[in-house]
Amino acid sequence: MSFSTMLSSMGEGMLRSCAIFILTILFSMPLGMIVMFLRRSRFTIVREITKIYIAIMRGTPLMLQLLMWYFGPYYLFGMNIRGYRFTAILLGFSMNYAAYFAEIYRGGMETIPVGQYEAAEILGYNKVQTFFKIILPQVLKAILPSVTNEIITLVKDTSLAFTLAYNEMFSIAKQIAASQTSFMPFVIAGVFYFAANYLVAFIMERIEKAFDYYK
Amino acid sequence: MKKKLALIMALLLIPVSIAGCGSSSSTTASTEPAGTADTSTAVEAADTSAEVEAAKAASSYHFLEEDLGVESYAIGFRKGDEELAETVSGAVQALVLDGTYDEIGKKYPDIKDYLCLKADDIDPSTLPEKGSGDSSFTFKHGFDLDYPPYSFLQDDGSVGGFDVELCQAVCDYLGWGYESVPFNWDAKDMELNAGSCDCIWSGFTKEGREDDYTWGITYSNNTQGILVPGDSDIKTLADLSGKIVGVQTATSAYDMLQDSQKDLADTFAELKVYETYTIAYNDLKAGAIDAIAIDMTAGSFLITDNNS
Repeated sequence: MSFSTMLSSMGEGMLRSCAIFILTILFSMPLGMIVMFLRRSRFTIVREITKIYIAIMRGTPLMLQLLMWYFGPYYLFGMNIRGYRFTAILLGFSMNYAAYFAEIYRGGMETIPVGQYEAAEILGYNKVQTFFKIILPQVLKAILPSVTNEIITLVKDTSLAFTLAYNEMFSIAKQIAASQTSFMPFVIAGVFYFAANYLVAFIMERIEKAFDYYK
Repeated sequence: MKKKLALIMALLLIPVSIAGCGSSSSTTASTEPAGTADTSTAVEAADTSAEVEAAKAASSYHFLEEDLGVESYAIGFRKGDEELAETVSGAVQALVLDGTYDEIGKKYPDIKDYLCLKADDIDPSTLPEKGSGDSSFTFKHGFDLDYPPYSFLQDDGSVGGFDVELCQAVCDYLGWGYESVPFNWDAKDMELNAGSCDCIWSGFTKEGREDDYTWGITYSNNTQGILVPGDSDIKTLADLSGKIVGVQTATSAYDMLQDSQKDLADTFAELKVYETYTIAYNDLKAGAIDAIAIDMTAGSFLITDNNS
């Protein structure tokens, strides 16, 4: 197998990895916000259930969760799971990452002193205004480095999708390495991941700079 | 607003947590009702052995009569390790002569018919003597722990399988120490070249890899076939056209579908590549794929083990 065939088949896998990555970010980041609100809810029962959710999502391997999401509907309800694969992968990744993002957001929220809410109330801001105009900009600024961490982990975690026979880049690398008895595909995979993460870090740095308005 | 949202999320979370707990226990239950279906086709496709036939009749999955091809399993050594390869191969032949080879084979009915070494073909004069090996030497056996019945975790959690037992017997015969090195199949070449194991011996196919290793004796052969559910309308290889077929990555079945059976693979709607056959088999049970390309021994093991 020539180097260019290797690159092109792995490039195809890279696109599939990117699909998981982008869609997971798109779903999990807003979902994480919702989970964070539930986690900070006034109602004990909601708070406790959310805690259990976060505990399960963080406490079990993502690989297992993917298996549960995909095979769960079949084993529990005998549903036909044909064509459900990609949805299950997205569900698994998004629900898992939402739990992590929720905790990162919560960490950011906790840094805002109560005095700011009181001040906003006195100035006549309602709750929604307070959140979006005063709290959120500060929280975003504070959590960006942790979010970057999480996103970079996600890039590398996409390889777990192969658990459900989704042929992403790293699984193709493994297949080529096995059939060609060559280490080269792993080197290419390493370069791919590094380049992708470098890009993520670069973009996130730009965003951080944009939020740097107090300097 | 927040209240309602919270309620909806809470309701959503309940089935999720239930899904997490329930699925493993229902695995066995769901296979039972299908157990008796379509016995006739299962028997048709079965091999000569009565035990294999009985096992297949009891299951609701069977192989197509047409197969994909035959391959031979041999022991792979580092290039240049001719002496080691010769000694181990000689010891395996000696074990054929003293009956150990067949005895171990009997424990694994799925592969009994595929053991290709016969005592009559062996010249006893060239074989190493019992206990002739260096007793301070430890032979490191590299294998995939996910490849039943050649090498796999036993019911009691210990490492076993035909290859593992045969390799242990070889070490006992020569007087060597035995060390098991279960590795990730994808990393087998790195493990071998790095010296963390002395051989790859785990249902290891020789075809297509002739020049990559120094080969020891071929001790078993195997047929690659197509596994389908009992009620499937797929009867021949031609019927696979437009169907979804599953295969495990880095296996001979996969290699065959990429190489000698490429034309057949091109007729599939899709060739789904799995990390392990276990997941592929679950997908087949769930009806998400139509067939699995797998070698006969691993396939028989899969269906008998899961239906018993």
